[in-house]
Amino acid sequence: MAPKIAVPEKGAKKVKQPTAPSTASTTAVSSAEAPVAKADEIIDDSSNGPIYLVAKPLTIAEARKEERYYNFALFMVTILSFWTRFYMLYHPDQVVFDEVHFGKFASYYLQRTYFFDVHPPFGKLLFALVGWLVGYDGSFLFENIGDGYVQNKVPYLAYRALPALLGSLTVPVVFLTMKDSGYSLAACLVSAGLVLFDNGHITQTRLILLDATLIFSMTCALYSYVKFMRYRNSPFGRKWWKWLLLTGLSLACTISTKYVGVFAFVSIGLAVIIDLWNLLDVDRGLSLKKYAQHFIARAFALIVMPFMIYLLFFQIHFWVLSKSGPGDDFMSPEFQETLGDNEMALLSKPINYYDTIDIKHKDTGAYLHSHPDRYPLRYDDGRISSQGQQVTGYPHKDANNNWVILPTVDFPENDRLGHPVNGGDVVQLYHTVTGTYLLTHDVASPYYPTNQEFTTVSPDDARGPRHNDTLFEIRLNNGKKDQFRTKGGFFKLIHVPTKVAMWTHTKPLPEWGYGQQEINGNKNSQQVSNTWLVDEILDLQDDRLNVEKKKVKHIPFIKKWLELQIAMFRHNNALTSSHPYSSLPPEWPFMLRGVSFWTKNESRAQIYLVGNPLGWWFASCCLAVLSGVFVADQLTRRRRYYVLAENVRNRLYNSAGFFLLAWAAHYFPFYIMGRQLFLHHYLPAHLISALAAGALLDFFYGNPGVFPVAYHAPGATPKTAEKKKGEQVESSVQRPPTMYPPSSLISYLVSGVIIGFVCGVYWFFKPFTYGDPGLSVPQVLMRKWMNFDLHFAK
Amino acid sequence: MATAGSTTGADFGGAPRQRKYNPNEFVHQNDEQLFESKPKTAIGEFYRDDDISLDTIEGYIAPILFTILSFITRMYQIGISDVVTWDEAHFGKFGSHYLKREFYFDVHPPLGKMLVGLSGYLCGYNGSFEFKSGEHYPEELNYTFMRVFNATFGALCVPIAYFTAKSLKLSTPATWLVTLMVLCENSYATISRFILLDSMLMFFTFLCFLGLAKFHERRHQSFSSGWWFWLTFTGVNIGCVTSVKWVGALTTALVGIYTIHDLWDKFGDLKMPLVTYIKHWIARIICLIVLPLTIYLACFKIHFSILVNSGPGDAQMSSLFQANLHGTDLTKGPIDVAIGSKITLKNMGYGGGLLHSHVQTYPEGSEQQQVTCYHHKDANNNWIIHSGRKTDAHESNDSELQFVKSGDVVRLIHDLTGRNLHSHSVPAPLTKDQNEVSCYGNLTVGDEKDNWIVEVVSDARYSDKLVHTLTSTLRLRHQVLGCYLRAANLNLPQWGYKQIEVTCDGSNNPRDHFTHWNVELHVNPRLPDGDSKAYKSPFLRDFVHLNVAMMTSNNALVPDPDKRDDLASRPWQWPLLNVGLRMCGWGKNIVKYYLLGNPIVVWSSTASMVIMAITVFVYVCRWQRHYVDMTPTETAHFIYSGVYPALGWVLHYFPFILMARVTYIHHYLPALYFAIMTCGFLFDFGTKKLPGWARYPAYLLAYAAVVGVFVLFSPISFGMHGKHDQYSYLNWLSTWNI
Repeated sequence: MAPKIAVPEKGAKKVKQPTAPSTASTTAVSSAEAPVAKADEIIDDSSNGPIYLVAKPLTIAEARKEERYYNFALFMVTILSFWTRFYMLYHPDQVVFDEVHFGKFASYYLQRTYFFDVHPPFGKLLFALVGWLVGYDGSFLFENIGDGYVQNKVPYLAYRALPALLGSLTVPVVFLTMKDSGYSLAACLVSAGLVLFDNGHITQTRLILLDATLIFSMTCALYSYVKFMRYRNSPFGRKWWKWLLLTGLSLACTISTKYVGVFAFVSIGLAVIIDLWNLLDVDRGLSLKKYAQHFIARAFALIVMPFMIYLLFFQIHFWVLSKSGPGDDFMSPEFQETLGDNEMALLSKPINYYDTIDIKHKDTGAYLHSHPDRYPLRYDDGRISSQGQQVTGYPHKDANNNWVILPTVDFPENDRLGHPVNGGDVVQLYHTVTGTYLLTHDVASPYYPTNQEFTTVSPDDARGPRHNDTLFEIRLNNGKKDQFRTKGGFFKLIHVPTKVAMWTHTKPLPEWGYGQQEINGNKNSQQVSNTWLVDEILDLQDDRLNVEKKKVKHIPFIKKWLELQIAMFRHNNALTSSHPYSSLPPEWPFMLRGVSFWTKNESRAQIYLVGNPLGWWFASCCLAVLSGVFVADQLTRRRRYYVLAENVRNRLYNSAGFFLLAWAAHYFPFYIMGRQLFLHHYLPAHLISALAAGALLDFFYGNPGVFPVAYHAPGATPKTAEKKKGEQVESSVQRPPTMYPPSSLISYLVSGVIIGFVCGVYWFFKPFTYGDPGLSVPQVLMRKWMNFDLHFAK
Repeated sequence: MATAGSTTGADFGGAPRQRKYNPNEFVHQNDEQLFESKPKTAIGEFYRDDDISLDTIEGYIAPILFTILSFITRMYQIGISDVVTWDEAHFGKFGSHYLKREFYFDVHPPLGKMLVGLSGYLCGYNGSFEFKSGEHYPEELNYTFMRVFNATFGALCVPIAYFTAKSLKLSTPATWLVTLMVLCENSYATISRFILLDSMLMFFTFLCFLGLAKFHERRHQSFSSGWWFWLTFTGVNIGCVTSVKWVGALTTALVGIYTIHDLWDKFGDLKMPLVTYIKHWIARIICLIVLPLTIYLACFKIHFSILVNSGPGDAQMSSLFQANLHGTDLTKGPIDVAIGSKITLKNMGYGGGLLHSHVQTYPEGSEQQQVTCYHHKDANNNWIIHSGRKTDAHESNDSELQFVKSGDVVRLIHDLTGRNLHSHSVPAPLTKDQNEVSCYGNLTVGDEKDNWIVEVVSDARYSDKLVHTLTSTLRLRHQVLGCYLRAANLNLPQWGYKQIEVTCDGSNNPRDHFTHWNVELHVNPRLPDGDSKAYKSPFLRDFVHLNVAMMTSNNALVPDPDKRDDLASRPWQWPLLNVGLRMCGWGKNIVKYYLLGNPIVVWSSTASMVIMAITVFVYVCRWQRHYVDMTPTETAHFIYSGVYPALGWVLHYFPFILMARVTYIHHYLPALYFAIMTCGFLFDFGTKKLPGWARYPAYLLAYAAVVGVFVLFSPISFGMHGKHDQYSYLNWLSTWNI
């Protein structure tokens, strides 16, 4: 390709009134110093000032030709991307690593049972949507890593197709981001190639995990913002609004997937602040009113609207999860009441005195049970019991589970029906089979010397000397005095004289107790595991069989959301325990160590999350060099050597600088994060480092950045550049809508070599990415680079 | 502009100028004209007029007056409470150790405590008092002198504040305001009265900032004697402040930022020859890096040379270091280690402790008995060497002595519990990719996982591959798993008493010092006592070792979630003065002290930080809109006298928010100083354009408020007698508990 750049004219450009610095490095301190520096510049700049490079504009035909090259490359990249992400998607047909969580959550959504998780709902809702679309009922709960999908009839291919699709689409978006930032095709290809052939991105985006959604949304946000900036010369136009709103939408999706998405906000936010700062400059000719419009437009599109969308996802989350489920315990009782138990709620019936009921422990599912056998006089550890009748927990339905709920003072003989039991009432429980009354007293229980023994006593005792010990309070978990109901009415049974709560645990009693559960009185009555519920009323008369439907309560969305939000943050901060494969941020850019996802002993196959080491090292080197270029530029300019042409420098700062900033915003916050971290937390930052790598290469390829990226740009010749100073530019200087910097042969060669090597390393580590084929010991050892702790190395 | 700016001078009347008769001043003025007063500006005017005679007199009288007041407020009734108050229990005790010359260990660097020791030495104290908290001082201990010595540092802070404000070119009334705010700050007055490090920390911090301000004043007279003096002065104080407490590093950061800013400005000065520029760099490297480092090192050198006797802190140091202390029992043990010897094992990594076990078990993992590294001498550190399982036993006394050599398989049996040092493939509690080490079984019960292979890495004296007390460097390899016993300064959670985690590391890295161990104490009645008088341990190694140990114990000072510390407070509470601190018991007969800032001072200084942020924001935005609000000179004044103190506050405050360590209200005291400085600047900045009739009453009102509230709250500083409820009128906020 013949270079189509005209020989750059080194037009020495005298700056009469320097405009505000376009760099990001404007701090309060230096800016306040700047007037002095400006004054100096005026004096010194006559011979050695900023220069502009000028290129011959492409003709329309040439531009079309370039466009075709780009499109072809984009097409190829997309094809390859789909191939790399979808290759062997069916393997392994087992639950891998964190699929255990996200697969489970999808099932909960499908079953509409309430669950609790520290991540916001968007990513998980997408999986649920997929499951719903293919008609899955969500019966498999992804309990253990290694559980088979085929046996359990899980549509795992559909599930995995979603991240694979998003992961595949990420690559073309990377390509387009580079293209729309005005980089040459050779540079675009390197950026896309670094992500395309990255084992880490591929591994992470072909499993049922949230990262594919996160990374795709984040990339879209960057892309939309780049697009938005291309329309900066026609503010408030249709396209301008479109891309601004799309940026906001993408940001909303990012943060609604995982909270690390906030780094995308920081990246874009910083760029917006710098942009707004430059717009504030009087030389940009904006009145304060106009400026306020700019400000409000961005604040609305990038803060208010994303927040609304974020809330919307929670609204959907609450709407879908309408039934009580494993997440109930994380929420307040008021919240739990909003969860309809559906068929359970239908069966819920109000309980009256003299009803025969069975009482079930919420956590272990055991029924309160008693049988004629007695506690042994002496336990193995030498402690002595009361030798009273055993009260145990028994997991099956049985006549010995039947208890009659009695008032402390009998109602008159002819008026016993229809008296409701309310929360807070004091009652007695009468065991129908043995004709005894439930009681607890200050005798140590079989296993717990600190807890009280539960037993039963004869009616004579219950009415006579032991009366007080048979009194129990029904304390509803919601603390209210409503009528006591079956199923939904979780309660604690508090012993009136001693204040202990009835409790049970899973350690079975010895032979004398038939291996049933111990029931005892727990002094810590607040404990959540003291919760019981009445399963059924056993002797219902006809008129009470037809029950009125329990009404599901409603509390305002904002209140629900706030409660959940606070609980999520609290739990997120508590995730500090360490994990064998957790790693620390300084290790990531050097790709020192991966994460083992899955192993199979028979075939010696494994999935090991590892970034493409060559790609990561190359990208990290580029970041270092790029930082070096910035430092060198700052130093030389401070000494008033204007090495870089002004327009080259603008491109470098506003595009590559933006990438560098975004990378830093996606990387350094992890240093102060207390929770456990994994290699995959670096993936968004790695993607951005690939963008920066392309930008740097383009800089070295010598694409001078003279082609204005922005639509309707005032051109780049020194003459038109003066528009900034308020001069009118004739409309004939307007550029064609897009400008493609041509790539030279050498740049294609360099890019080709880089991509080739990266692709080679990708192929080398492929067995760990797809979990196939299994490798022999020497093969594994050959791939044991850095500190990779691979399996089957022995 | 000019008329408004010249206020002070003009109002005090126009006396004849005397500057040209003073050669030093003359240079200054020349300079001023060269660099500063090209535009005739407010500030330029301002200090050309400040040599009016009244002002000159003020320059002498005011600091003397403030100093006298300061000594009065800091020392009034200083000896009235004869009980050990608050952290006097620590720092008094450390002072005693210097007098007894016993080695002790503490998380703070030694300078402050050495000064405490010096004060004890000066008053003839012999170091025999225990300094138990709440105890009465004995007759022979002149604690009043020791407190006065400390209070002197606190008292001198006030004139330093005065001179700093002057150097920052605040107007005279504003300077007075700043000085009064420091003088009448109750927390400063209170904390200076006791044998604590805080008065010294404040003193050196304030001096540091004074040095910076003075240096900045002379920035245009590069390499003049005054310039050199103040640069060196700043460097010396950086060294001192970091040698008192590590938080002094925050002050260093402020100086560092100033220096970088300054050098960046000079870098852009094309008129400056490169050689001169390099000289600027070298001067700063020498004065601000090399010099402070030397002082820091020197403090430790003195520390080591004073503490030559064995004492309570021995176990923190390397065995070699301990062996050189007088009165140590380390060197008495037999030289060659044999089967049946009772030994302690010392980790040789920086900050390493002694291999330890206790009956408590791991709450997770294997749930077997814990093995840790511990930094105190204790019978739980003793281990008995047995031969490995399934090898020929040579344990009875009758059999031949079998010396342990490199490659031998041994078992280590914990003396007190009789369990074997054991490892298995269970992840360690913190370092999950390494194996847990526990104590398991007993003499007969156990398996091959109790076997460890001794590897002698090197020996400082012998070359016979036997294991020798003190001199041999060992590694212990697990026979079954092939991993190495390792302890790397990671504190266990509360269940492990914040002791160091011990793991078995599968990676074989012979240069990893944390896998290196040496035999420290050795008892074997069957062997003759040796005299392994070791080689002198090199100073730098001891220095690094001690610093790592300090860091490790500092990291262990995190709030215990199970135990609420009523004295600790959260950083957000400090600027709001939401909380105070009872420094002693609250009984009826005790003279009570309550550490609480002067509410007016703290609240106004906090407000000024907010106002400062808004002011900067507004000015920067206006600057971008190309409004010219300030001349370059005014801008410089705004930055160096306003923004820099505010930055100082940020640097001295925000790190505490990020710190996991337990924090107390007195950590805010240095930050408060910078907030006061900013407050004074803003008051000056806001009032200097006001006419005199509004300006002076405003100042008078401020003075009155500051002094008045101080007087009102003075009982909490000077000591409250009698029952505490008679002072309840001082509880302005419900969270205070006076």
